[in-house]
Amino acid sequence: MLQVNGYAINAETPLELLTDYLTPNDLFFVRSHWIPRMPDLKTWRLRIDGDVEKPLTLSLTDLRKMPVSDATCVLQCAGNGRGLYEPVLPGVQWRYGAAGNAHWRGVRVRDLLTRAGVKSSAAHLHTFGSDDPPGNVPPFHRSLELTKAMDDALLAYEMNGAPLPPLHGAPLRLVVPGWAGDHWMKWVVRLSPQAEPAKGFYMDTAYRYPLSPGAPGVSFKPEEMKPVTELSVKSNITTAPKKARAGKPVTIRGFAFSGAPGIARVEISTDDGDTWKAATLDPRHDPFAWRLWSYSWTPARPGRVQLLARATDSRGAVQPREPVWNQSGYLYNGWHGVTIEVTA
Amino acid sequence: MKRVLLLALCAGLSLAALTTPAPKPKGVPKAQPKPLPILGTTFHSLPAGTGRSEVEAACYRCHSADILVQQRLNEKQWTAEVEKMMRWGAVVKESDKPVMVAYLLKHFGPGNKGFQPIRTQPVH
Repeated sequence: MLQVNGYAINAETPLELLTDYLTPNDLFFVRSHWIPRMPDLKTWRLRIDGDVEKPLTLSLTDLRKMPVSDATCVLQCAGNGRGLYEPVLPGVQWRYGAAGNAHWRGVRVRDLLTRAGVKSSAAHLHTFGSDDPPGNVPPFHRSLELTKAMDDALLAYEMNGAPLPPLHGAPLRLVVPGWAGDHWMKWVVRLSPQAEPAKGFYMDTAYRYPLSPGAPGVSFKPEEMKPVTELSVKSNITTAPKKARAGKPVTIRGFAFSGAPGIARVEISTDDGDTWKAATLDPRHDPFAWRLWSYSWTPARPGRVQLLARATDSRGAVQPREPVWNQSGYLYNGWHGVTIEVTA
Repeated sequence: MKRVLLLALCAGLSLAALTTPAPKPKGVPKAQPKPLPILGTTFHSLPAGTGRSEVEAACYRCHSADILVQQRLNEKQWTAEVEKMMRWGAVVKESDKPVMVAYLLKHFGPGNKGFQPIRTQPVH
């Protein structure tokens, strides 16, 4: 792993290791705002309160007795790629590897809230983890639109067939397919449907994104921003040789994902984006999962050649050359390139 | 011709390496690659300089130096970060703020290009 902060723990996966459809748990990136306290599972409880008819207090055993649901989808930190933005921005300098694809298993948020009798007055689901920080450090309390939570969010207790690992939120984390990681609350202990969205630093200042693009380096005013929600369409190249021989084919590989349920195509350019050729999509796919792809390239002549990848999602959104600059460095999705030295 | 000569030289060297092994040095343990550290157990340290002790005292209570040494911020950005942390509970004397900002700017200013994440073992 590439540790970008040791305490609290933040680490990204080396890009060249992100080659599997399911990212192994031991290589999956870790993002922590604060240091979690591992609960005693015998006494651990999930509380559901707020705008509900019947507040609930549930043990892990109670949750495991409920209907099981699952999803295979991408988790990407909202700030993945922050270190690539120009002008530079403060914060964890993630580059490429704060993203992974996993199979999540647990219970539907919809089933839980229906059981609790969610009231029609509720419009936002407030989510609370157990990792409360000390002093005046703002707690990572968040909310997301209830419609999204009721649509396809899960509370996962398993990741890739194993109990959810401690660094990934054991015993329970939120899974919000297609949305950035700031919504995927870890160490969840309380859900609370309410009429209004959550307030505080991590809602009102952090995790906000421009309504429309501006000039790089020019900060947006609060009213020009909205919460980060859906991921942006992007692709990365994970596998490429540094050298190739003219006339001899080489294979380039990578992944692509989006806030849309699917990836329509991935294309490769060897002429700085003037022309594009289709890569081959791997047959494995699930809604909001990443799509692996490969491209066989036969260099025509010697020289240094840059290969660029771009993805187009199932809604027609095309990955742009440059991302939308924003003062917190979220959702970087500029074209990713590799340079290959071609010899005779 | 040159390539043939080079190949011959390489082959010769390989053969020599096979037939006349270098004597093993006595008493010197065979060099083992250093195992990678476990995530969250090894941290970057801060470079020596005026302001280091103030920065260490204020920042280490809540986070490691890693998050500092990767930044490339200008004076305005560093001042904003220090003031944000003071609001969040960092114990900083107002009189220490200039020396801290100057230290952070000198070492982790816009020209700070050398940051490397610490490579660790997978998270077992």
